Amino acid sequence: MFSVIIYGRNDSHGYNLHKRAAISFNALAEVMSDPDDEICFVDYNTPDDHPTFPEAIADTLTDKAKSVLRVLRVRPEQHVHLKSKTHLVALEAQSRNIALRRSNPRNRWILYTNTDMLLVSRKEGESLSEILGSVPDGFYQTPRFELPEMLWEAAFDRRDPAGNLAKLRQWAVQFRLNQVVHNYMPMKYDALGDFQAALREDMFAIHGFDETMILGWHCDSNLAARLALYRGKVDTLIDRVFGYHCDHTRVAAANNKGRATKMNDHDRYIWNVSTPYLPAQAKTWGWPDQEIEEIRLDRDTAYQRFVAGVGSVVEPATAPYSTTSIEWYLFNDLTYDLPHTLPFVCDQVLTYPRSTAILVTATRPDFVRLFAEAWRGMGFTGPILLPSECKWLPTDIPGTVVDKFSRQLRKADTFIFEFGLGSQALDDPVRTGRATTLVDARRLSMVRRFLRRATIAEAETRPPGRQLPRRFIGVNVIFNKYWPLFTDRVAANINPFCGQVLAGLARIDESWKGKLSRMRAKLGVS
Amino acid sequence: MANGRSGLRSGNLRLAVEEFEQTIAQAPDWLEATEAYAEALDMVGETARAAVEYRRLRDLRAATPKGSPDRGYAVRRRGQFTEEVSAYGLVARRIDRMVFPFIARGNAFLADGHPTEAIRQYDRALRLKPGLITVLALRAEALSAVGRFRESVAGFDKVLAANRNDAEALSGRAIARMALGKVADANATWLRQFELLPPEQAPARACVALRMADYARALPELERAVATNPADLYWTLYRLTALRRLERQIQMPALPGSDAWPAPLLALHAGHIDEAGVQARADTPGRRTEAAFQLGVLAAEADKEAAKRWWRDVVEQQRVDFIEYAAARNELVRLGG
Repeated sequence: MFSVIIYGRNDSHGYNLHKRAAISFNALAEVMSDPDDEICFVDYNTPDDHPTFPEAIADTLTDKAKSVLRVLRVRPEQHVHLKSKTHLVALEAQSRNIALRRSNPRNRWILYTNTDMLLVSRKEGESLSEILGSVPDGFYQTPRFELPEMLWEAAFDRRDPAGNLAKLRQWAVQFRLNQVVHNYMPMKYDALGDFQAALREDMFAIHGFDETMILGWHCDSNLAARLALYRGKVDTLIDRVFGYHCDHTRVAAANNKGRATKMNDHDRYIWNVSTPYLPAQAKTWGWPDQEIEEIRLDRDTAYQRFVAGVGSVVEPATAPYSTTSIEWYLFNDLTYDLPHTLPFVCDQVLTYPRSTAILVTATRPDFVRLFAEAWRGMGFTGPILLPSECKWLPTDIPGTVVDKFSRQLRKADTFIFEFGLGSQALDDPVRTGRATTLVDARRLSMVRRFLRRATIAEAETRPPGRQLPRRFIGVNVIFNKYWPLFTDRVAANINPFCGQVLAGLARIDESWKGKLSRMRAKLGVS
Repeated sequence: MANGRSGLRSGNLRLAVEEFEQTIAQAPDWLEATEAYAEALDMVGETARAAVEYRRLRDLRAATPKGSPDRGYAVRRRGQFTEEVSAYGLVARRIDRMVFPFIARGNAFLADGHPTEAIRQYDRALRLKPGLITVLALRAEALSAVGRFRESVAGFDKVLAANRNDAEALSGRAIARMALGKVADANATWLRQFELLPPEQAPARACVALRMADYARALPELERAVATNPADLYWTLYRLTALRRLERQIQMPALPGSDAWPAPLLALHAGHIDEAGVQARADTPGRRTEAAFQLGVLAAEADKEAAKRWWRDVVEQQRVDFIEYAAARNELVRLGG
């Protein structure tokens, strides 16, 4: 019957976002009763190494919310062409259009709202699906009532949507919450963007939201103006459903700077609208040609993928614990416990697109073997790129591509540099003062040189079409001699030794050597 | 009504309810009054009665005939838009340097059956933004609605000079051209519109093909329209029309339980009512146009002259934006009438 379209990203937009959003996701799912109903959440521009916002709060969502929720992930690389044009990190019009394009075509209605809304049918027990199924074609809005922060924060149980909706019915009377704020036509109500129900076919006919609105605010009013023209009327559902907004004014959200807030031009996008249509974006709205990843919370979850990948290559421990040490005299011992470290390496890559091509430069063949198996197990379809110069690395692993480092550099979406001892076997003891052999040293030297080349020339060697910097993952680069080397080249956080993994973007080397190297890379001189 | 509104605005809700009750008693189909009445009832806590009125309001709105899907958005709706006229009038008083309030008000006048007032509003908008193509297109529609077809064509020509692929402007120009008797020109314009409409807009494509009386082109679109909108009896009716004009075998679909318009026209095709019966049921000018056209379709199988008489009747009724008007003119040209 209807697709709810909402958007956001894995950040902290306003006060206690996680609770507000969980309350809202669960409450929206609670008022759905048609099997075709869905919540389309566009996760816009969350960094690649983070999970999407709904994944981050999945444990607080009900089974019903998880079953109706479709997460459409827009990667930073897909947003980068707009980055210089806006101060915002998440774009409403683009997000809503991406979801509209991909919404269930069997649904008659699209409901635009936000991740802090609860919808309460006036007739107890009536679902929103039933309400929307019973009203004629049109463009409907309903007023938004405000819910004091203390109430939702202190009294709502985020996993009890039915209880929350029941409380709202009571509070509406007890605390006199229901005040309708009328507005000029075509807006009809204040804060109209929290409930705008339009026919899916109407939204396609008018080419969705206006994607030139990239400064924030007024997207809802622009839609109201255009749908008011298209339909002639702005109808109300005030007799059927009330909308409650979880106030979040204790801390201003990133797009709210008081009187200094940057906004889309009010006059241009509301009072000078002269047509419902947007012919300039008729063929491009909602990015029809872009592949948008879809993530479900009820199947093939990140955790399930992690288990499928790492669980297939790491044998369960047979002892209560194992040990290593950061005592100073072990600084030069490069042994590490691979089965223990591998889960931390996989954790670094799991949120990346499945088509990612990853360049692995390693000293230990067993690292490559185990990582490659875990990579496939986690559902990645992109290749593992291995430098042909690293003769010691296996070449018979399915899904790996062996080629010269300089060529691989231009194909990779991300990098792993592993600094271990090739002579170490899987069951060798760890950090007992083992010396580096000549063979180990040669391998380490090559990995170090390749790290240097890759970090210096990162910008110049990006694959065609890629604009954002690529991420470097260092394995076994904490509290040993490769720690300063890695962090000189990669802006990594301080991480616990136990994981043995650091990650970050390349630092720009402003020395004459760095500049020369970048120029050589640009010219293709290896 | 005005007293009721005053009651609502001044907080005298009981007065408002009484005033609206009286208004509704005199004009039960007045949508704006019904909506205001429902709102007033809700505000005084008579929620159950309010729900009844809201339901009645929506039923009335749903029963309002819709315009053809091949037409411009502003002329695709009909009915009561006095509330919008008033609301956008208020907005225009405050925001008088921007075009939206005037366009919205003009559209409301147009849909409410006051094209002359609509033209005034569009002219206000054009004074603010001279040459604004989107407003020129609306103005051309309004000119057509008042019978100023030559000016309408000139207006659409300007719109199409700016964007030759504007399907809605093509539709408006074709109608105005047909009204001027330029049948071949009109058909050429509709053909261009038909080519521009994407396949997923089968109902709109069907309407365009029907206007050209091109039933072979219309039939597959009508089949799709019937499949996706089985509740809309017009598609079933027009499908029967196309089948008859193509002299194809007809299997009558099940007739609807209700005899609300256009069910009598389907009953006519099924032979359940006769000419007099359908004419008696055609109680509005628009329905009389539709009935005359269908009587022509049925007559054409055996008596071309009778068909011509019916179709001439359609043309004389001058409902130029009706599908039947254009189709009848095309039929007459083919029959040499």
